[in-house]
Amino acid sequence: MDQTHIRNFCLLAHIDHGKSTLADRLLELTDTIPARQMTEQVLDSMELEREKGVTIKASAVRMRYTATDGEEYELNLIDTPGHVDFSYEVSRALAACEGALLVVDAAQGIEAQTLANLYLALEADLEIVPVVNKIDLASARPDEVALELAELLGVEPHEVLRVSAKEGWGIEQVLKAVVTRLPPPRGDPNAPLRALIFDSHYDPYKGVVAYVRVVDGVLVQEEPLLLMATGAETEPIEVGIFTPEMNPTERLNAGEVGYVATGLKTVRECHVGDTLTSALHPASEPLPGYRPVKPMVFAGLYPVVNEDYNSLRSALEKLQLNDAALVFEPETSQALQFGFRCGFLGLFHMEIVQERLEREYGLDLIATAPSVAYQVVTRSGEIVEVASPADLPDPAIIEEIREPWMRIQVFTPADYIGPVMELITRRRGIYRTTEYLDSQRVVLTYEMPLSEMIVDLHDRLKSATRGYASLDYTFDGYRPGDLVRMDILVNKQPVDALALIVHRDQAYEKGSRLVRKMKEVIPRQLFKVPIQAAVGGRIVARATVSALRKDVLAKCYGGDVTRKRKLLERQKAGKKRLKQFGRVVIPQDAFLAVLRLDED
Amino acid sequence: MTIHKPAALYMHIPFCRSRCAYCDFNTYAGLEELIPAYVTAVCREIEVAGERWGRLTVPTIYFGGGTPSLLPLDLVRELFQVARSRFYVSDDAEITLEANPGTVTVGYLRGLRSLGVNRLSLGVQSAHDDELRLLGRIHTWAEAVEAVEWAREAGFANLNLDLIFGLPAQTLARWHQTLEAALRLSPEHLSLYCLSVEEGTPLERRIASGALPAADEDLAAEMYELAEEMLAEAGYFHYEISNWAKANPKSQIPNYKPQKWWPEPETRSLKHETLSEEVSPYVCRHNLTYWRNEPWLGVGAGAHSWLGGRRWANVRHPREYIAACGTSCQLVPHQEVEEIDRRKEMGETMMLGLRLAEGVRDTRFQARFGRGLEQVFGAELAELQDLGLLEWNGRVTRLTARGRLVGNYVFAHFV
Repeated sequence: MDQTHIRNFCLLAHIDHGKSTLADRLLELTDTIPARQMTEQVLDSMELEREKGVTIKASAVRMRYTATDGEEYELNLIDTPGHVDFSYEVSRALAACEGALLVVDAAQGIEAQTLANLYLALEADLEIVPVVNKIDLASARPDEVALELAELLGVEPHEVLRVSAKEGWGIEQVLKAVVTRLPPPRGDPNAPLRALIFDSHYDPYKGVVAYVRVVDGVLVQEEPLLLMATGAETEPIEVGIFTPEMNPTERLNAGEVGYVATGLKTVRECHVGDTLTSALHPASEPLPGYRPVKPMVFAGLYPVVNEDYNSLRSALEKLQLNDAALVFEPETSQALQFGFRCGFLGLFHMEIVQERLEREYGLDLIATAPSVAYQVVTRSGEIVEVASPADLPDPAIIEEIREPWMRIQVFTPADYIGPVMELITRRRGIYRTTEYLDSQRVVLTYEMPLSEMIVDLHDRLKSATRGYASLDYTFDGYRPGDLVRMDILVNKQPVDALALIVHRDQAYEKGSRLVRKMKEVIPRQLFKVPIQAAVGGRIVARATVSALRKDVLAKCYGGDVTRKRKLLERQKAGKKRLKQFGRVVIPQDAFLAVLRLDED
Repeated sequence: MTIHKPAALYMHIPFCRSRCAYCDFNTYAGLEELIPAYVTAVCREIEVAGERWGRLTVPTIYFGGGTPSLLPLDLVRELFQVARSRFYVSDDAEITLEANPGTVTVGYLRGLRSLGVNRLSLGVQSAHDDELRLLGRIHTWAEAVEAVEWAREAGFANLNLDLIFGLPAQTLARWHQTLEAALRLSPEHLSLYCLSVEEGTPLERRIASGALPAADEDLAAEMYELAEEMLAEAGYFHYEISNWAKANPKSQIPNYKPQKWWPEPETRSLKHETLSEEVSPYVCRHNLTYWRNEPWLGVGAGAHSWLGGRRWANVRHPREYIAACGTSCQLVPHQEVEEIDRRKEMGETMMLGLRLAEGVRDTRFQARFGRGLEQVFGAELAELQDLGLLEWNGRVTRLTARGRLVGNYVFAHFV
């Protein structure tokens, strides 16, 4: 198909504003998927995605659409991940499009993510078509919301589409707008091949499948390919399009979206954002915007029962096939024994990985509190990377500890500037600038240590602004800090997996909150259990879990025997799933207590 | 099939005037018109069981409920007649009937006594009328006292009182008063149950909604310890976690010692391995059958049985039960049947036996399973002994005073 008849676009929406339902209707109306085969939210194929209502992997699907002018168009809908942990992946998916449908709930109106998405789309230079969805709701205010959107985008209110994806109202209009209002791709079909990789997945039969947007030239199956960032060369096994199943086509022309079964063995050789070109006639310059993925957050994952160690390793290996951002290496802890130190893009990514390991692989895991990677400069001038507080060298040989700092941007309604500033300042944030986007909306720019960010900043920000603020961040560099290791002692024994690195000024305050929180989550045991926080051998905080006084069934007669035995069996099985430290049982929640210090 | 095999006989009478706020047993209010048909069905089940199991020797019979004292005397007689015609009911059989104050008269109690009932268990629960109302009981404390007097008048020389502690908002002082009031009635036996708030009961809903405070577990532990102290002083033998029996005057109950619940070996009057019956003639022999994990046959709606290596339960609803017994089928349809293998039986023997002050004896365990306690549970016994929760001297094992309060923790090691 020539480029004038191609449209590449994505759907952008705040969570629950109906993005997936609208995608389903578009697929239905273009007969890409007949209504009777429709499962809800076709594009979110992972069970977790449907449950969390958040797209984790990008996906793409080609639709054929005959417009009112009788011409047939090729529409490529690219679905994007919906979480700030994946903002780089989102930016690459957007770079594969020319336009975006900005979907807003007719009852809720514009929200934080609507704006954050809009800025991303504008940065990617996309043409925007605003869509008000859910106009069927009794509480819908389509006129008002359309006006807000029109003002925001500088368009006429009548240019805002009004639909109900649920009821199927106005879907035809949407397709019409995609064809008439979004521009066609403008690549050079005769230039050397340049195709943008915006996602990939691992297929057990075809190896790594790269999701690509051909910008210039033609991608054909016969020609060997070069990945410009990694330098990997490969013979493609198959080239095709998503309908949404993989459908071989042998070639992809300039402007088209599809896939290449690369024959590569791991997704780590196939980075999102990399440029595919011909190994024989390579392009001189890669496409702009590539950034290697770098895990930002680290945590130990340990099997509750040691026998699961090998299963955990093989499960991590399998997940890694599909997840280039996940890294892991073996780690040993005195308390938790054998496990893996894993690196993630952020806390959400960590949560997803942990849940998939537990659900899809049936593993019982203990996750330690997430940490960032510190740089330790020793007296001898050596720089050591430390991703686990337990690995911090002897303070005597430490010259300096450096921690990663981020540049963060908070988008918030002006009304919430106060609470946002307070929250960020308390977390060692350094104020930089305030910019007014309009009279109501501001962007606050700060620098802050990553370690302060990973502990729940996103959720805290949401609750400080009634869900309105959104957050974007980029890595800024390593800076020295007055950092110390805080040990946590349970029943007088230090538990290495509970150790954390904190700023000296915060040690007392954090220690007190932490031991109090742990006291809440460690169940009462047969004897009282002191919990202490210590810095450099000095106790800075202490709390005590009082002893269990009473746990016995008052009655046990003939009719009770089976039921009570089963109850005890469950109690015993439940205990097996908890880690035992000497005689103390420490549940998973205690390891993550540090994440909840701000709760009261 | 062995003939004359012993088995305790339990008869379930699931009817009540009204259901108590905490009750999650298989009981029904407002179905009293089913009683005659129900008794006919139970008789039929006894006949069928007699055919299935042969003439069992029955050392104890227990009418439990529900409220068995709602049964008219002629129906109680009918049940006895059938039981005696199918089983060997021992001459000295212990025959208990549970009764609720407010449902009995002195004449009725005399009738029971003359039919052979020799142990009466009265659900008096509390000496405070506001607590009785909270529990949804249909009687007052005055009525409970009256029922006790009538029972004595009718000739009952073996009387149990049920009490409940650990109620929402109950204080230690109020519990003390209840205990004192109960002791003034000089019952031969006391069952003290810590209230457990069961799912789906009105009490649970009221606590969940915030209308009532949840009971304080630590306070309940103190109440338990208070009871242990007071009852030991009053000459009661604490022979099971929730049960006390007036000690044999000749057996000289030792002084209360907070760390031991069994007479110290040095008191000499008692051997370390004495059985419960030797310390008190008033221990409930029927219930000892359960705790020693010996066989029993349960008849009636929802009743459980433990015979021939399996445990089963009858259909729960009295209507279904009546219908099932009325058809020509040979056995009442069982709702759940569980085969108990060796390992499970050992675990249950520990779970039940450790509830008793007499504990689990190695000789009995060996005789039953062919392997000794040390061999099967050596590691568990050592660990729990080390934690101060069990005594274990190579011949007998039992809970310590601390262990009694955290029995579940101990039992979970054996199941």
